[in-house]
Amino acid sequence: MNSKYIFRSMIAVAILGMASCKPELSTITPSKGSADFSRYIAIGNSLTSGYADNGLYLEGQKNSFPEMIATQMKTVGGGAFYTPFFNESQADGSGYKILKGFTPAGLPIIGDQNAHTAVRTTTPTVLLTKYVGEINNYGVPGIKLVHINIPQYGNLNNFYERMLPTDFPNNTTTTYLNFVTSKPFTFFSMWLGNNDILGYATSGGANPADQPTDKNTFASLYADAANKMTANNAKGVVATIPDILKTPFFNTVTLNSLLAAVHVTAPTINTIYIKTGKNATRAATAKDFFVLPLASANLIGTGAVPYGLFPSNPVESQWVLDEDEAGIVSDYVASYNATIKAVATNKGLAIVDAFALLREYGSGKVVNGVPISAAYITGNLFSLDGIHLTPMGYALVANEFIRSINSKYGSSIPIVDVTRYRGVKFP
Amino acid sequence: MKKILLSCLLALPVLGYSQSFQVNLQGQKQTAMGGAGTGLALDEAAVFFNPGAVSFLKKNGVQAGISPLYLKTAFRENGSNVTEYNKDKIATPIMGYAVFGSPENRLRFGLGIYTPFGGAMHWKEDWTGRYSVTSLDLQAIYIQPTLSLKITDHIGIGGGLVYSLGKVDLRKALPYTLNDGRQASAKLKGDAKDFGWNAGIYVETVSGVSIGVTHRSQVTATVKDGDAIFDVPDAIRDRVPTKFGAELPLPATTTLGLGFHPSDKTTLALDVNWVHWSKYKELAFDYNNNFVSPPSPRNYHDAAALRFGIQNQTTNRLALRAGIGYAFTPVGKGYVTPEVPDANRLLLSAGVGFKATERFNIDFSFLYENVEKRNETNIETQLSGEFKTLAYIPGISFSYKW
Repeated sequence: MNSKYIFRSMIAVAILGMASCKPELSTITPSKGSADFSRYIAIGNSLTSGYADNGLYLEGQKNSFPEMIATQMKTVGGGAFYTPFFNESQADGSGYKILKGFTPAGLPIIGDQNAHTAVRTTTPTVLLTKYVGEINNYGVPGIKLVHINIPQYGNLNNFYERMLPTDFPNNTTTTYLNFVTSKPFTFFSMWLGNNDILGYATSGGANPADQPTDKNTFASLYADAANKMTANNAKGVVATIPDILKTPFFNTVTLNSLLAAVHVTAPTINTIYIKTGKNATRAATAKDFFVLPLASANLIGTGAVPYGLFPSNPVESQWVLDEDEAGIVSDYVASYNATIKAVATNKGLAIVDAFALLREYGSGKVVNGVPISAAYITGNLFSLDGIHLTPMGYALVANEFIRSINSKYGSSIPIVDVTRYRGVKFP
Repeated sequence: MKKILLSCLLALPVLGYSQSFQVNLQGQKQTAMGGAGTGLALDEAAVFFNPGAVSFLKKNGVQAGISPLYLKTAFRENGSNVTEYNKDKIATPIMGYAVFGSPENRLRFGLGIYTPFGGAMHWKEDWTGRYSVTSLDLQAIYIQPTLSLKITDHIGIGGGLVYSLGKVDLRKALPYTLNDGRQASAKLKGDAKDFGWNAGIYVETVSGVSIGVTHRSQVTATVKDGDAIFDVPDAIRDRVPTKFGAELPLPATTTLGLGFHPSDKTTLALDVNWVHWSKYKELAFDYNNNFVSPPSPRNYHDAAALRFGIQNQTTNRLALRAGIGYAFTPVGKGYVTPEVPDANRLLLSAGVGFKATERFNIDFSFLYENVEKRNETNIETQLSGEFKTLAYIPGISFSYKW
């Protein structure tokens, strides 16, 4: 009797204890600090839109860094956030690249995903299904800083056109900067300027229509943009331009990897000839950058005079960012970034040093047990296009934005769980 | 009886958790007394606590017990507002002992089956640290036949051979995402059969203080030909292993125990454990299929635990027990891993014993473990956040003496 009673009491105490006494962690107090996140807008290019795998598609949009930040901001008074999503039925958006497998040699086989695109017409130009509704994420793939004040820009960029109420070719009065600021906002992120140099770099410096934006023009436009964005005392965060030359786009196809492939059939060949930006033909060195698409172009060694292996048939300039051109890219990126930091400091804005951040992760780092690097496909950071990020890469960026905002404005926006976002998808 | 006891013990899953993955739930009386008892000839559990004291037991007996263990760990990544908890899972370390031989003889025999090491940590499959671990089930059941010899009326020595039956099941997520959004994962499953020993000396001094010194040897649990089950995308399936081997040191423990007997009814026990954790340098897996994974550094250091307990034989039938202990963590800064998120811990315990009949006894214990809050960044995985663990461990044992 006695023992039964005590036994029962002990069981009861045990069960009570187990049910009620969960371990407690240090308390955290949510705070918006000196900022107001009630209407946050994101302006920028592909990196802001969630572009990945050489396309803008619904999954990428859902995993854009502004979406992540906005979700986290809700814990400290952030308002609703709208991204101009593609419809579920047109989830492939502009179409994008997928990994289909690996060749026996271990090289990736890249395919296209375009079964459910949002293309509404292809004549006279490719246009995408219009988005109707509220917008907070104004990321427009392809936009350069030099484009933000062009009244006809809606006719020039189909990602921008789909956000506008007016159809191509009648967009002649809506500049990007005016469009994004047409409705009041309290907080903004601005990550602009990458495309002012990116197109030059990815085309091997060979496209006369895609040359770097003049440094002074950039400085003046960036200051204009910052002035406009802060005109109504909105607070914000800006980001620098990543180190383009550290992306897989420029580091996957290398002189060594090309020679290794050539050696399978021609073991005595030890030189790849390139046409430089100055129209000179010379042997490639390790300081020249070959672009990623050269891997799938299957050109090297083809033709009556094997392509790239003889001075009379060099690798064309579009496939290679030679040493001099790479120097130009580094110089412009450094200049643009100096501008971005100076303007942000002047305006009292938070700064994300994306240049330093992506270099740090790109050179190899472990995050919550996940190895991160700039390695193509296996690095978890860059998507299949070798330039834009994976959802996990965007999550790392989002956390850096959050840290930067918190540190500048004394807020306590919680970070996102990076592990909930994927790297490259494998078949 | 013995057979039933044995088969019952082997059939049930035996999992536990204490200092790192050491389990200290080897006897209900001792558990109720903060885990102390090396300097006492208390009951059949002396086979574990001090083989030298077995020859001093006044009766022969068998006992069997169980300590269902409920452990809750909270984790929050630094900078995040989300607290994650491990899954509810009751582990059930079981213990059983038998002592034979004539109490009048100097030589006595014992058999012990107990679980000195184990762990059962189950996180949700999508938790933040899943690339470190999603679940670990670890157990080592020691079977220990024992001899104990009373050299003089006041000094006893004893020793036992330990046969260890080990089992491990470790799971984690891999950072590969399939086209359907599913995550790749790895499961390592294996068994180990190894040997060790347990020896002790027990002295009853003229001052009335009893002293025990014991050493339980290290057992190196060696998994050979374990199953490595990798669920990965087809594109990389031919690059992953199917088999693994590993070694896990189950460290030696040296204990000094003192027993005090201030009155006929009251017994005090004080134990100091020194656990030789410094042998646990790294967790390395050898895989087949030319699959290489760098060893995971642990770099544990030796660690002490202090235990103090009291027993009061309140009436002829009822004994009350209480205890307190403090275990220092063997895990250094930067090496805390979520499968054993260890830290210094406070132990509080209480229990009662009933003599139902002259031969039949029941003992209850309740142990509360409060593991200190610990904010850590693991140097290998960079998992950074705060851990806090509480454990509630009720226990019961039945014994029959003759």
